[in-house]
Amino acid sequence: MRTVRTDVLIIGSGFGAAAPALRLAEAGLRVVLVEKGPHLDPGKDFRMTQDPHYYTRYLKSLSSERIGLTYAENLGGGSAFYEMASIRAPSAAFEQVDQNGRRLWPADVDRRALDPYYGVAEGMLHVEQIAPDQVPKNGLLFAKMMQNLGYSCERAPYAVRHCIGAGFCVAGCPFGAKQSLLLNYLPQAVAAGASIETDLEALEIEALEGVRDGPVAGTMAAHPYRYVVRCRRTTGARERLSVETKVLVVAAGTVGTAKLLLRSRRGLPLLSHQVGHNVAFNGSVKVAGLMPDSMPEGDLFAGRSHAGMISYEFLRSHGITIAAMKPLPLQIMASARLTLEGEPASTYWGEAHVGIMRQCRRRLMVFVALGMTPPTGRIVAAGNGFRAEVDLDDDLRRYYAETRDIMHSILRRNGCRVLDATYVDRDGAAHRDLHITSAHQVGSCRMATSKRDGVVDSDGAVFDYPGLYVSDGAAIPSSLAVNTAQTILANAERIAEGIVGRYAKPVGPVLAVQ
Amino acid sequence: MFNDHASPRVPSPIGRREALRRLAQVSVALAASACTPARYVLHLYPEDLDRSDAGDRILSAFARTVIPGAPVDDASLFRALKDSALPFHRYAGFFAADLDERAQRQFRRGFAQLGSEHRVAVVEGGLHADRTTCRLYEGAIFLTQIAYFSGIYDAERGCPLIDFDGCYRFRGLEATTFPDPDRFLARSVSLDGNPA
Repeated sequence: MRTVRTDVLIIGSGFGAAAPALRLAEAGLRVVLVEKGPHLDPGKDFRMTQDPHYYTRYLKSLSSERIGLTYAENLGGGSAFYEMASIRAPSAAFEQVDQNGRRLWPADVDRRALDPYYGVAEGMLHVEQIAPDQVPKNGLLFAKMMQNLGYSCERAPYAVRHCIGAGFCVAGCPFGAKQSLLLNYLPQAVAAGASIETDLEALEIEALEGVRDGPVAGTMAAHPYRYVVRCRRTTGARERLSVETKVLVVAAGTVGTAKLLLRSRRGLPLLSHQVGHNVAFNGSVKVAGLMPDSMPEGDLFAGRSHAGMISYEFLRSHGITIAAMKPLPLQIMASARLTLEGEPASTYWGEAHVGIMRQCRRRLMVFVALGMTPPTGRIVAAGNGFRAEVDLDDDLRRYYAETRDIMHSILRRNGCRVLDATYVDRDGAAHRDLHITSAHQVGSCRMATSKRDGVVDSDGAVFDYPGLYVSDGAAIPSSLAVNTAQTILANAERIAEGIVGRYAKPVGPVLAVQ
Repeated sequence: MFNDHASPRVPSPIGRREALRRLAQVSVALAASACTPARYVLHLYPEDLDRSDAGDRILSAFARTVIPGAPVDDASLFRALKDSALPFHRYAGFFAADLDERAQRQFRRGFAQLGSEHRVAVVEGGLHADRTTCRLYEGAIFLTQIAYFSGIYDAERGCPLIDFDGCYRFRGLEATTFPDPDRFLARSVSLDGNPA
């Protein structure tokens, strides 16, 4: 087996990995980034498609009867398939407490502390609040519904540049408007000297002897090689190789990071027992309704994937934000059987169902709420693999019921006919109980003030393992009630700045980049 | 730094573990079922339904039952059920045979010869049968709907039945948004879309 040595190894290439890769390379360190998934070229590989084959090539799922977590496995991670909504988490998200009244976030990390790093991330991704004349029709109709009821609604910030309204944002914008990490952080990291390897899976981490020897700060030359990561090609002859590194940043995503650290228990015996626990899933609830004739008719398939508008009206009272979703056939069909309220559940196919589908384009309004649900999910080893679990307690059931009722009420008071949604599994069979789905999972290796409560400290440093960091969604300790991408990236910028300060000669503050 | 990452992806043969897993699935299915699922696992149905026009006619009639109004001659209507890239194709022959047999039992005619009301009754019968058969029928409905409504086999055409025109066509800004958008906007609680 070949062995490669480097100063810094970064595992993963999504929002949590890209910032450390760039900043540490800029600081003059030898940086290698490995990604399990394939290389992606926006102009060549992104598609304008509803073909599920395309999505399933890159989007994976970890699930069980009660919860399904979706994540991306490709260069750029979730940034290639996100909706570009780049929203700062509201202060309320950082103030959440556990059942004992203890703050979920470390005391020194809150909205105020992250604001400068949000600014850096926004500059890198060209984030701008959507202009009124760019808001797609379904977003404007959603805003109108909120306006009718006296509720507030914000034009959301987006990571997009020169958008032409093609509308295939999630499948990846082949026009280069979608600001995935493939257009900024990752190429800039390479330009700064980082080496990126795709189709290379990190299988296991082992601390080398003397991991706790040597300085914990100072220039990189003084540091020993502390970790070996055993990797395997996912293509060809599946070659195995080892990478020895002085600093190791694990940023394989909330699911990937937890799986890797759980697989590495033998080589990292002092890891916190919280690895894989405390998964927060941003309580996504979707409802649908048919708009009345009194609402203006518009092409709801046109324009950006995200509707451009988000309401914080119920954040303080119920811990949720509400936005509209584009009612594209694939997304509708893949998630739920829609039936007219009051009609038998069996009408999810046939004449009545075609009638609903015919109204997708002009009349179907879909709302989605994201909420501050508690971190009660888990990623656990099961047989030769892993599974996601969650306890469906009364509080959680109440959250889902109340959130659905709030959104149904908004639809009804605007004259909409509510559609019943029965959620389905990947084979189209109905879930018999509440089933949680999320692409915004965080917290599987969360930040905390002690090893008893979390896996890393507020600097992203793994307890008891000098030079080992977690910088992705896994470190984020709570649901955010908004899309998680921007917070993960801002926090990764903050953690990267700390690593640079500890291991590299100062090259000026990261914040100067903006 | 690493030099052989461009090796082409090669399909891996079924290993011993996968073979055992599949065998275990078959055994479990056989043990758990006395009639229909066992027939399905053992392929006890007319073989020509896997490859004949008769099988296609049944599947087409099924798809038009699930999606009334879809054109009879639309080849993409039931293509997903026989698409070798999708797992259902292994069950398509059995599924067609089961539809036909239920139709014969209930109405003394083949499924493809039935009127729409009777076809609906046959499909409902499958959905109310044993759990395995129900899953099969649910899966067939789901796959037919998702493939046809999303236009997965012709991104240019999409699905005219529901006015979904598939692939990108830039229709200009007026198609994307409403004129005078400010009249739609509700009051805002932030200056930049990021309430504190």
